[in-house]
Amino acid sequence: MERTTDADRINEIQHSAQPCFQCGICAASCPIFRVAPDFNPRMAVDEVLRTGTVAMTGREWFCAYCLMCEERCPMEVALSEILIDIKNLSANDGKVPPSIIEMMDVIRFTGKVSHASKRTEKKRRELGLPELPKPDVDEVQTIFEMTGALDRLMRFREAEVEPE
Amino acid sequence: MTTSDSVSDAGTGVEPKVEAAESEIRIGVFPCKCGKNIGAVVDIDTVAEYAKTLPGVVHVQVNTYTCADPGQKEIQEAIREHNLNRIIVASCSPTMHEDTFRKTVKGAGLNPYLCIMANIREHVSWVHQQDPEGATTKAKELVAMAVAKATSLVPQPELDVPVTPSALVVGAGVAGMQASLDLADMGYKVYLIEKEPTIGGIMAILDKVFPQNDCSICILGPKMVDVIQHPNIKVISMAEVDEVSGYVGNFSVRVRQRARYVDPDACTACAECIEVCPVDIPSRVDQNLTWKKAIYIPFPQAVPSSYVIDPEACLGMDLLRCGKCYEKCEQHAVIPEDEDKIIEFEVGVIIIATGFEPADPKKIPRLGWGRYPNVITSLEFERLINAAGPTEGKLVRPSDITKPKSVAIVQCVGSRDIHTRMGCSNFCCAESVKCALLIKEHYPETEVVIYYQDLRMHGKYFEDQYHKAREEGIKFIRGRVGEIQEYPHTKNLRISVEDTTHNELLLVDFDMVILSMGAEGVAGNVPLPISVTQDKFYIESHPKLRPVDTSSAGVFICGGAESPKDIRDSVIQASAAAGRASIILQRGRYPIEALSARIQQDICSRCGTCVKRCPYGAIIQDGTGRYTVMGALCQACGTCAGDCPKDAIVMPNFTNEQIFAQIETALKENPEEKIVAFACAFCSYRGSDLAGVSRMQYPTNARVIRAMCSGRYSVKFAQRAFELGAGSVLYSGCHLPADCHFQTGNHWMAKREPRIRNWMKRKGINDERFRIEWVSAGEGKKWQQIMTDMSEIAMKHADEIRKKRTAKSKGKTKGGKQAKSKRSPKTQGTKKGKKKTTKTKRKKED
Repeated sequence: MERTTDADRINEIQHSAQPCFQCGICAASCPIFRVAPDFNPRMAVDEVLRTGTVAMTGREWFCAYCLMCEERCPMEVALSEILIDIKNLSANDGKVPPSIIEMMDVIRFTGKVSHASKRTEKKRRELGLPELPKPDVDEVQTIFEMTGALDRLMRFREAEVEPE
Repeated sequence: MTTSDSVSDAGTGVEPKVEAAESEIRIGVFPCKCGKNIGAVVDIDTVAEYAKTLPGVVHVQVNTYTCADPGQKEIQEAIREHNLNRIIVASCSPTMHEDTFRKTVKGAGLNPYLCIMANIREHVSWVHQQDPEGATTKAKELVAMAVAKATSLVPQPELDVPVTPSALVVGAGVAGMQASLDLADMGYKVYLIEKEPTIGGIMAILDKVFPQNDCSICILGPKMVDVIQHPNIKVISMAEVDEVSGYVGNFSVRVRQRARYVDPDACTACAECIEVCPVDIPSRVDQNLTWKKAIYIPFPQAVPSSYVIDPEACLGMDLLRCGKCYEKCEQHAVIPEDEDKIIEFEVGVIIIATGFEPADPKKIPRLGWGRYPNVITSLEFERLINAAGPTEGKLVRPSDITKPKSVAIVQCVGSRDIHTRMGCSNFCCAESVKCALLIKEHYPETEVVIYYQDLRMHGKYFEDQYHKAREEGIKFIRGRVGEIQEYPHTKNLRISVEDTTHNELLLVDFDMVILSMGAEGVAGNVPLPISVTQDKFYIESHPKLRPVDTSSAGVFICGGAESPKDIRDSVIQASAAAGRASIILQRGRYPIEALSARIQQDICSRCGTCVKRCPYGAIIQDGTGRYTVMGALCQACGTCAGDCPKDAIVMPNFTNEQIFAQIETALKENPEEKIVAFACAFCSYRGSDLAGVSRMQYPTNARVIRAMCSGRYSVKFAQRAFELGAGSVLYSGCHLPADCHFQTGNHWMAKREPRIRNWMKRKGINDERFRIEWVSAGEGKKWQQIMTDMSEIAMKHADEIRKKRTAKSKGKTKGGKQAKSKRSPKTQGTKKGKKKTTKTKRKKED
């Protein structure tokens, strides 16, 4: 198993994870852990605390960011942020799953994550709501270029991994 | 100091007066060599010769060991022979021997508060071992500072107040009962106040109690009877404390007793009334699992053994509206016209034993209590398994009154969670294991699983109980329950929990779930100025050394009011509180802090700032708008005086006049090189002493001025020091937030910082020359570092001053000033060099 050791990031994660006392309430509340026994938010935190490294199995991308763990954590550990940080570490290692890369592409070319359906537009008209703003694709492109997101996307694509 | 005769003469012994200094000051100075401790570094004879030249000094006597018997005798003889009326002992730290020398001068007939010390050991000889010349100069100046202070010292009365030989105990749970019994057995009158209709508290409604699983009411019942029958205890049930005024030894208490509508003396508890009462209300004692009547007795063993009418549920005690109980009662015990009573009495001490409330399960909706009938709390379980409870001891599911085949016990509900209560509730682990054992005892075939986070079976015999539970086949799974869901038809429950030892999600079905409830504090319900923690438990005076005392003299805490605890601990603490309280009662008189604050009424502008500053509620406004200090409550921190806009408050032995005199004397020579350091008596001064005891070397330019608390440091002290050209000024106190010996003094001092800094800005004083630091009694190293740093700041400032002076004097004459300025950098250089050598030496030693 590959492990990342990006020291600064790991230190940051470790620091915010320190109050954790491993009660398991996050895992018991996690909707993903119910269906994917390999993804355990408690173990993710525990691993960073214990070993100072993060395992890159690709499962870190399972987190749906529902915030249930953080909501119920008795120690107010910022679990969702930790899990996002772990995703970022994984991304830096070029472990971005194709679906995420695809999603980035969608944003780059259309300026939005999901397409508003005809039905949505109809419904909005019926309710008298204003039309959805049309994203400025050129602007989004510029943002991608200037923030370095485009470079990252290109790197991700080069390192693209086949789903396990 | 000016005299103020306008202080009231009412309540003598409570509010000491402001005294004036005598006309002729005759100071005796006693420099001590302390063997070689001081003598090897400081030239004591030079110091003695210098002391003779100081104003007011009529006698100087050097001694090798002043604290030894011969030394003390010499002081006493000198007082008689030379008619001395102020004594200065220049030796070790006042924390070490101030008490000793005060007793010495008292022995010679002098008021003990006329004796002060100059600390030339911890602050001089031990910390300036490499610089005898500088050390001697510093010792001379410290003596001069003490002499300047001594000039305005006045005798302080050593007063005491009488103590009423009775006690108030608030709360008649097991702790309150124990404390009352202990005090009553010692022969003191005890008023025991209970807000419920019966005494006994939470323990009275439990079934069995861990770890031996003995019957709770069987052991508590006889004790309850002992309490009510004790000739020295007056039980006032259904009552709450309305008002407490006064001070230690002399509290006036007003209690409001709610109407009972039944005469407890006449009622025989025959239960005929409940047969006719038409009103059903949920039974609170039975955790609302069953009904009781509007006229009820909480439980059969209740004390006083009398029925009580719930006026809100009752239809009416007159015959027109209902009156059935009134008609039925052959004893004529029902009193429809009963009213709330106000009871007033005087006590000498107060013990608070108000206990805690079980945590509120409604605050944790994910566990479904209140929505799912088969999720019950541990207290509800106690009533279900109790033979006197609603089911007569049969454990059933509330949804369908059937016996559960599987029961889950969920730990840490309402405890160890930032959202409810951060702390561990201390008793729930043992309580749950007991519950599990009770289920197994009654129904061995039931499956019982305890979901715990950390099983804290810490008490005596607890491990045996845990061992037994294991043997009985009770399962223990480590993991905190995430949520509980209900099957709508069967009303069975499914819990989701991670088995953290196996990293595995468990979705398990149970017939019933017991939530092991923690405790919730209710402190603050007694009208006394005692600090309360964030989770509403009373704060003790010292967590280790004074665990049952409070910041208010004469008020003690015990039982669940102090922190969640089990029966055994409550009883232990109750006896401890009773023991501590009896010390005051037994003495009969309580000494007043001699150095307590005095308000000069002719200067006071009646702004009331001092009332807000006082952590002890010692300053009160009398009917006429005047503020007065209750000597018995005042602890002499001086925080009130530190913020008094009119300087109307006198802190004896730490008056503004005395502190200004010390500042002025300290800054008489080369003020720009000096550090004026204020240190509080309990933390920072002891920290500086520790630096001395540990021989941590630092430059000789610091002049420490001691005060009782950092809250005493007025803004004016720093201002005066800078006006006189001080190189740097330090305000040092106990660490924020909670280290202050006087609770809040350091907070008030910290709040003055912006005012000082703004003033400095206006005056063009470099910001770095003033510092606020927090030094504890254990931080000698930090004190050394601060002194070294601030010395550099002062020296830098002194250099600037010198440059300016030479620039000025170049235009004029080249004279003595230049010669002086040549000397100073040299001494500075040598100091630095020496500092370095000592440091390297220390390293080598290490």
